[in-house]
Amino acid sequence: MSIDNPPTIEVDQPEEPTNRPAADHRLKEWLSRGYVRRIIALSIVIGLLIIPLAWVVIHFMNLSGAPASAIMVEIERTMFVFTVVSAPLMAITLAILFYSLTGWGRVTGEDPPMQESPAIRTNGTAVVLWIAATSILAGFLVIWGLVELATITSYANGSTPANQQPNGQKAIDINVTGQQWVWTFQYPDQGAVTSDTLIVPINVPLYFNVTSKDVVHDFWVVELGIKIDANPGAITNTGVTPDKLGTFNIRCAELCGLHHAYMQTKIQVVTQAEFDAWVREMGGKRTV
Amino acid sequence: MTDTAVVHQTHDVPQPKQHGKPGGILRHTSIVTGTALGLVAAIVTYAIGSHFFVPWGTTNADASQVGLNALVAATYFAWVIFFMIGIGAFAGPIRWALGHDLTHDDAEYMAGKDQGKWRYWKYTTDHKVVGTQYLIMAMFLLGLGGLLAMLIRTELGITWAEVFDPNFYNSLIGTHGIVMIIALIIVVTGPFGNFILPIMIGARDMAFPRLNALSFWLLFAAIPPLASNLFLGGIRDGWTVYQPLASQAPIGMIGYQVTIIVFAFSTGVASVNLITTSVTMRARGMTWNRVPIFVIGVIASSVMGLVWFPMFQYSQMLALSDKVIATSFYNPIMGGSVWLYENLFWLLGHPEVYVVVIPGTAALMELMVVFLRKPLFSYKVAIAGFAGVVGISSIVWVHHMYMTGWAPSAGYPFMLSTELISIPFGFLVLVMLGTLWRGKPWTRLPMMCVYAVIWDKVVGGITGVYLSDVPVDQYMHGSMFVVAHFHYMLMGAGLFAAIGATAYWFPKMTGRMLDERLGSIGFWVAFFGFQLTFGSMFVAGLQGMPRRVLQFDNAFNISNWLSTVGAYTIGIGMLIFLYAVITSWRSGKPSGSNPWGGKTLEWQTETPVPLENFPVLPVVTSDPYGYGVPDPYDAVLEADKQPAGVA
Repeated sequence: MSIDNPPTIEVDQPEEPTNRPAADHRLKEWLSRGYVRRIIALSIVIGLLIIPLAWVVIHFMNLSGAPASAIMVEIERTMFVFTVVSAPLMAITLAILFYSLTGWGRVTGEDPPMQESPAIRTNGTAVVLWIAATSILAGFLVIWGLVELATITSYANGSTPANQQPNGQKAIDINVTGQQWVWTFQYPDQGAVTSDTLIVPINVPLYFNVTSKDVVHDFWVVELGIKIDANPGAITNTGVTPDKLGTFNIRCAELCGLHHAYMQTKIQVVTQAEFDAWVREMGGKRTV
Repeated sequence: MTDTAVVHQTHDVPQPKQHGKPGGILRHTSIVTGTALGLVAAIVTYAIGSHFFVPWGTTNADASQVGLNALVAATYFAWVIFFMIGIGAFAGPIRWALGHDLTHDDAEYMAGKDQGKWRYWKYTTDHKVVGTQYLIMAMFLLGLGGLLAMLIRTELGITWAEVFDPNFYNSLIGTHGIVMIIALIIVVTGPFGNFILPIMIGARDMAFPRLNALSFWLLFAAIPPLASNLFLGGIRDGWTVYQPLASQAPIGMIGYQVTIIVFAFSTGVASVNLITTSVTMRARGMTWNRVPIFVIGVIASSVMGLVWFPMFQYSQMLALSDKVIATSFYNPIMGGSVWLYENLFWLLGHPEVYVVVIPGTAALMELMVVFLRKPLFSYKVAIAGFAGVVGISSIVWVHHMYMTGWAPSAGYPFMLSTELISIPFGFLVLVMLGTLWRGKPWTRLPMMCVYAVIWDKVVGGITGVYLSDVPVDQYMHGSMFVVAHFHYMLMGAGLFAAIGATAYWFPKMTGRMLDERLGSIGFWVAFFGFQLTFGSMFVAGLQGMPRRVLQFDNAFNISNWLSTVGAYTIGIGMLIFLYAVITSWRSGKPSGSNPWGGKTLEWQTETPVPLENFPVLPVVTSDPYGYGVPDPYDAVLEADKQPAGVA
């Protein structure tokens, strides 16, 4: 059924709502229109193209290494879920956008078109549905975000999200100092061992006290998913429990002057035995 | 036009006495006298200051540096103040102070009557002149910022070597950022808010014509201090110029601070003027339900500018004070706070995004009804959307500071407010989609910009939803992902909307049609280059590439090569578009007064628009969206609601 051949609906008087067709009848009539069906089909196709993006996004995030902490796992999960839940609205928006390019006809040429389109001033149903859909989506994202933030905060504090209790292991304190353009790591519990590479044992909570000697830097441990500014004159805190052996990237994520680009180092996650050996070699004392 | 308008009754009213020729001293002032006086004052200030006040010989390096900073700041301010004096900005107030009123002839002289092209180089109060000046200025700034962007992408595309000295690279990104921010803030409200809006509401001029000229020439005066930084060590600290890095910067930083302080006065004056004009100068019969949506968008943008721009200004005033009188607002060693700076900065910094996006969106809503021959879908929802964005935009700024460690618990409420703003922003998308619904687009360039911008908004909006989430931001903050996201909003949704608005109102401003073929080629080349540039930049960000770096891991090479190819493509597209604008302006096809068949008032007056816009002021009897035919599906017709168009 095309727009050139509109159906006739039996309605006599606008003043008498009793004569309007029932809602289900109107919905059925609306769904029978050709353009509505084509847009729904297009939305489904676009939606099916968008959802795989959730995996693509995770793939790109993992290119330099899979998540090495529970925090990074939560971050990737959030990216995945957000992509999937926003797919329907994105799909409908893009479907209408693409369909309207030619779907209802188009006009070319130099002169203003003579043929006018339907004078649709508003549509209460569409407005209510759109506001409801966007509000539900935003509400879901907010609630998900609040819960996830609480989750990663408790991971950062070395506790388990479920009961908010410390998981029994004492965290290793590490003092992180940024200065133009190097990172310095000091282990106060290990007899003030100092290093410019971060060497940490696996599955032990780490607690970072971050500060700066000069300008604002940002301590970003990429594959572990933690990031906090290093401010002069203040100590900021973050924490993480690495759960994967290997070497990962630490980058400065706040412009800090001339050699900002080169202000990066590595974090090595090693076994407890290797860590103890390293501490001894550095002249520190054994971890409790 | 009806005959209900009141005719001017100048002959009945006793007029002030004319002293000398109309215009008085303004007959002799122009950009030439302004520049000359400004330069002389700057040189004199520098000479006197460096002779008497800078303790050059001191062994105290700090004292010497402070003295030099103060000298440079004084020189810049001398340039600004004496440029404004020299161009005649204060001639009116001084004449009042001397007891001479401006006569009608004076006012007409100041509006540029019978001065030909020369009036574009003078302190001319006619809103059409100011609008045109803003358009040229915006194009100049976009060209400068675009050139710097090409240099940035050149460095990042040549992954095997350092092309530029890191200091120069850092000042490239800082200058690119702030130049583009200024350009995008003015690019819609400047040209079209000034040129089109008064005609659109049926006024003879802005509410405060002299303030209108003041806002433009303050902007003009603010540009040399900004541009000169490239020769004074540069702005090496990004457009955000975070403290205390900025306090280490060379004296080029003073140029940034002076520019922002002056530019904030310019936007404040312009905002007051636009709001007052829209509220008080509307034609008879133009009730709030009949105001074109573009006017609402400009009001919304101006309100945000008026309220929040002073925060940016204060942030730079305090920074300048730290530099020139050695205060310690931001110096942590002396009890200052870097977080104070970040808060003041982002209090404007975030609403600023909406200051850019909203007028562009409103302009597209205004033009899409004309090209679809359909009424705007849900005018009231559009207004609710603007109002909601303006309101919530004031309580989201901390999402730029999630990772500062300043207030870890603030993540919760500001995540809430940031995600809530997507609801009123969604209203605007609904209005545009609803207007597209069942319309037959007339596929001219302005209309095609609507499609481009909605696409960019979808991409920018969804990636913004990721970033509003604190856990995700913990990975993304400070990465290329953020850069790609805000370019989708500021360039994709802001600049491309401005291109649409330019193409739409070009015939009214110049009397000629914008070359459709060349303009479209330029636009689409730029659009697809844009998708390539920032699409691959998303990938670099997801992989973990920090922003504002000039060297990086090989893992990021491929996406950076693609971004650079895309950026050059944008550059080519923009040059083609610029060529189309210049040639069409000089020798395009004459357009007539209403080439698009629009119903808003600006299309009802003749082109070129006469000095006071309308021979007789119009009376408005309906909203300007009376397009369309009865819905063939809809047997329920409400004949009395069919608008009759503008009388």
